[in-house]
Amino acid sequence: MRRFNTLLFRMAFLSLLVASLTLALSAAYSPMVHAQDDDDDPEMTFDEDEASGDEGMVMEDDAEESAEPEPDEEPEPEAAVDPDGDSTSGALPAANTEEVSWQDIVVVVRKPFLKVSRVELMPSWGITMNDNIIQHVQFSGALNYYLTDVLAVGIEGQYYIKSLREPFDLVARQARRLPTVNKYNFGAAMNFHYVPIYGKFAVLDENVVHWETALTAGVGFTQSEVLPRDPALQPFKNTLITPNVGASMRFFLSRFLTVNVGIRDYVFVDKFEAVSRMEANGDIAKEQADSSLVNNIMFQAGVSFWFPMSFEYTTFR
Amino acid sequence: MIKRLSILSLGALLLAGLASPSVARAERKNSLDGVPAVRHRLLLVKKRFEATGAFESSINSDFKNTLGGGLKLEVHASDLLSFGAIGIFGTSFNTGLTDKIVGTLPENDPSPNPDADPTPTKREFNAHLNSIPLHGAAYVGVTPWYGKLAAFGKFFVNFDFYFQGGLAFAQLKSDCSNDICNDNNPTGGMDSGGNVILPDNNPNDDPVLNSGFRAGLYFGGGIHVFVSDAVALDLTVRDYMFSDNPSGLDFNADLAVTDDDNRFLNHLFMGVGVSVLLPTKIKRTP
Repeated sequence: MRRFNTLLFRMAFLSLLVASLTLALSAAYSPMVHAQDDDDDPEMTFDEDEASGDEGMVMEDDAEESAEPEPDEEPEPEAAVDPDGDSTSGALPAANTEEVSWQDIVVVVRKPFLKVSRVELMPSWGITMNDNIIQHVQFSGALNYYLTDVLAVGIEGQYYIKSLREPFDLVARQARRLPTVNKYNFGAAMNFHYVPIYGKFAVLDENVVHWETALTAGVGFTQSEVLPRDPALQPFKNTLITPNVGASMRFFLSRFLTVNVGIRDYVFVDKFEAVSRMEANGDIAKEQADSSLVNNIMFQAGVSFWFPMSFEYTTFR
Repeated sequence: MIKRLSILSLGALLLAGLASPSVARAERKNSLDGVPAVRHRLLLVKKRFEATGAFESSINSDFKNTLGGGLKLEVHASDLLSFGAIGIFGTSFNTGLTDKIVGTLPENDPSPNPDADPTPTKREFNAHLNSIPLHGAAYVGVTPWYGKLAAFGKFFVNFDFYFQGGLAFAQLKSDCSNDICNDNNPTGGMDSGGNVILPDNNPNDDPVLNSGFRAGLYFGGGIHVFVSDAVALDLTVRDYMFSDNPSGLDFNADLAVTDDDNRFLNHLFMGVGVSVLLPTKIKRTP
């Protein structure tokens, strides 16, 4: 019984010692835990440029998990108060006062999506916007490599499917005239992309979506084919040098997936069947063809897959 | 003594457990849960009146393009909901397709039987085309998206996307003089003496039925880019849908121009405008 009591006493003493040590360690390591949390947070940075220009609002993801150093342990900063009154930490800065606190520091999010040294694979769909006689549906694929976060070089290929629109029949029926029409078969281009505009918006005040606008310019070729007014005559095909310019919006869904919508103008000088064509042979008819400048404006929508599928931030925050 | 020490040590262990970092980490809660996505946001439209000088151009019209200017007035009842109206006075000009067609049409009907050739003359074709000197809409708007953007890393502006739906109206105009549109019985009939009038099967001299007031549906969407708290650039695509027969000629191949040739058509316009929002002073969300 006595030995049992001694054992029990030793155990109790030991557990008390362990408990004390645990308490001491937990108190000592608490700030480190906070610091570790902050380091793990990939969504936060200080960005002086954006902060200074941010006059309108602060998104939740900007402020989310913002590091708020322990006021008792860190000295208060001597930075000036944001004159616009924006704050991400939830408290309005005191106006017209010299006192500042950590809460006055505007914390903004890092760009949630990095593109530099990544490859974008973009299948997309498009449709003619500016031809009321013939409409083309375009299926295209593009491969772009981002030299920087705002500049890319890439190639694209297009395949077209035509459909004749209502005025094609109307002109024939009402005006007794057969429109001269070419269809497009396929094309390809080498393009440069530049991203001048970057933004984010809130959807119904709940979700924040990041997006950007890209400008595109390039050059390539398009193959067009004459649709003979008289089916008994031979068609002929044209290979046309095709510069293109465009603008598109990209919405970021994840680290490897974006949705894109845009407008592209493919410009070329097409060769059409001559109005007075009597020649059945396609090659001879091509020599007698009428030329005309065409702006083939397409609305495009697609998704992009990004490789590598993730990225790491390398800059200091 | 031993019992007391044991209880004390157990309590200390429990306390240590509660205070340990791992447990604290597990219980860490995002203080922003449940709060709005955006704080301290400028309320750029809420309870404000918007007046916009608007310019519009038709997109992809078949025979006549319309270019116009007008006014859009809108009351933003809340941050999301608004009510407004727009009216645009327009002027019309031929599309490239019309110019190409007209360029190949004959000047005059064949003589002595003008109905022998169903091809319209230049005057007949032009006289049947209609234009849209006035159009507009009354609508309900929603503004579900708002945000900010940076251009070239230097210019920061606020923007919002909006969508509108409502009722459209349009005043259509076509002008066919009596020396062209002189067939008073396009589908045949009886004259005052009870004699049967056979249709001439020539729609080119039939009276035009594509003028007058039309009502229909309206849908639109656009973006405000706020250059200041009170001024915004307004970029819009609008679709005015109403019954129309832009060519004014026979559509359903019955060789006569009738009301049946009208059909419900989309009239797409692209617009740009400058909006002034009142009052000029705005509030922020908490």
